[in-house]
Amino acid sequence: MNVDVVRQGTAWRLSVRGCEAIDCANAHLVKAEALRLLGNASDIVVDLRGVEFLDSAGVGVLVGLFKHARLRGGRARFCGLTPGVRTVLELIQLDRIFEIVDDAEAAVRS
Amino acid sequence: MSQTKRKPTSAAVDTGETLPDLAELCRIHEIGLDLIDRSHDLDELLDRVLEEYQSRLAALPSDALDPRSGAPQPESLRKLRGLVMFATQAAALKEKAVAALELKRRATMLEATNARLDGVLSALSSGVMIFDATGACLKANEAARRLAGTKDDAALARLIESGVPHDGEAEIELPDDGGGRRVVLVSRRAMAGDPGSAVVLLTDITQRSHAVEERVRLEKLAGVLKTLSVLSHKINNPLTALLGRAQILQSQQSADPRVAKAAAVIEESSTRIAELIRELAQVVREGRQESVDDLLDMSTTSGTTGSAR
Repeated sequence: MNVDVVRQGTAWRLSVRGCEAIDCANAHLVKAEALRLLGNASDIVVDLRGVEFLDSAGVGVLVGLFKHARLRGGRARFCGLTPGVRTVLELIQLDRIFEIVDDAEAAVRS
Repeated sequence: MSQTKRKPTSAAVDTGETLPDLAELCRIHEIGLDLIDRSHDLDELLDRVLEEYQSRLAALPSDALDPRSGAPQPESLRKLRGLVMFATQAAALKEKAVAALELKRRATMLEATNARLDGVLSALSSGVMIFDATGACLKANEAARRLAGTKDDAALARLIESGVPHDGEAEIELPDDGGGRRVVLVSRRAMAGDPGSAVVLLTDITQRSHAVEERVRLEKLAGVLKTLSVLSHKINNPLTALLGRAQILQSQQSADPRVAKAAAVIEESSTRIAELIRELAQVVREGRQESVDDLLDMSTTSGTTGSAR
């Protein structure tokens, strides 16, 4: 599992690589690494390409990132949703709470 | 009487199974009311939603969302159902709050635009009034009220309706502050995109009107002076001949004394006419109305004097 944070324009693009699922087995690691790398970044684009599944702990990581940005007066956007991740977010209606974008490149430019 | 152990009915079983759901429903209802209280502030609402989300996610068994674990346990399903119910309410409230925030933002922009428009209208020296389709005055700047000389919008609307054509203009005389009258050019134009409404522009053209009158007067004066110039030139030639002949008659010693006297009167009158023509020429050179008036006055006086002789 590898978490990358790259600055693109005014946004910070966070990508989770090397793990198909964010679940109770790795969620605490993903969250800790992501928050460490983001520091005080407030404009975040979370790229979820390659993540096929989220359980409740994985969803908790996304909620945590969303709060992290909001607490700093910024925003978090989520892109690269695979069908499995999208299904979970739609099931628990988070797709209506989160800002979900289709194109990561456009998201970091806007 | 023997007591038999009663077997739980299906209703009792159902009741037992739904009680936690009922408690959850009440809890969600309570949270829903709390969210509604906070829905005027999107940030506050989202904070509360995220807090509840995290709490519910933490309490959600891992099998609730994980198809790899097989069919979820009833308790997991119950908690998942509660999460979804909460999330549905929260999402709907969030969308309403976002819409309300957007409305507020637009209302603020509209207010700012209106304030700028009022500022522009106040800075204009021309009057601007906006009437709706019923003839009611929606907006009037200070200049409009000053030029209109009345605070009675309805009376002004009637005056404009009766005196100014649609998409046209007219000059209207209105009372001014000093008890006099001012001439106001009133233009009326339809408002694009708002049928029946009109924007009316009032411009004080009193000075312009005076200028036009002055120009007309000067044109008339120029005509009079030109006529005087032509007449004096045309009279001067025969007058010179007349004066010359009168002088010849007077110089002849053999002439009849009556003829000599008549020649003297002719000479005197001719000389007087010649003086008048010189004065006329002077008036033409000066080109002033006062000079013309003086000349006319003097001529009248001279004529009266002449008749008395």
